[in-house]
Amino acid sequence: MENKNPLSPHLQVYKWHVSSLVSIVTRITGIINILAITLICIWFSSLLLGESNYKIINIFLQSYIGKFIALGITWSFSFQILSEIRHLIMDLGYGFEIKTTNITGVIVIIFSFIFTILIYLLGRQFIL
Amino acid sequence: MRPVTKKWLFLKISSLILIPLMLWFIINFVSFYDKNYQEIVKFLTSQPSKFFTSLFLVFAYFFSALSINEVFEDYIDDEKIKNAAIKTLNIIAIFIPLITIIIIFNLTYE
Repeated sequence: MENKNPLSPHLQVYKWHVSSLVSIVTRITGIINILAITLICIWFSSLLLGESNYKIINIFLQSYIGKFIALGITWSFSFQILSEIRHLIMDLGYGFEIKTTNITGVIVIIFSFIFTILIYLLGRQFIL
Repeated sequence: MRPVTKKWLFLKISSLILIPLMLWFIINFVSFYDKNYQEIVKFLTSQPSKFFTSLFLVFAYFFSALSINEVFEDYIDDEKIKNAAIKTLNIIAIFIPLITIIIIFNLTYE
């Protein structure tokens, strides 16, 4: 008999909450991150082709699209870092109350953007 | 120890190790992504960068393989497709970092 039950996590059944939003975005950013890291691996491998062949990649990375991608990866990494810290704290047995999960979820969302700006400024040596 | 518990433990340990490595990598990535060939090679061939980048790649793929495994378990209903997807994922998670690390160790800064 064909199984017609919806697969977990039953996105079409549950009402959306901050914690479910953070959970789904964590999974999405996890997949984005590994795709980004794979692209970075290809980028590092392209260095073997030599300096003259690298110019095209360099021009792309210096363009607005390149900068947008770099900023997007930074946000995706920031979100993942904060979300993993939240998960590890929850694994220690803290923050399971609905009010607390909502607050920590909102903190992860807001601070992922603040973190992105801080990392970008730190990386570009605008601060420190 | 149950395999599920072992998997959970591996996921948590790799996550704990990955957090500072991700932070280190992303700060450096932002600083060098638009730099020229020589500067990127200089960064990748320096001893600490070589070591931390390799460590980052190993843990990033290990952690991702474990967590994407969970996504496959949750979303793929067909057992054959699920097993094939998990095996493909594991092969990718071993070979991509391995090849990249070999390439990084073969780069030379002149």
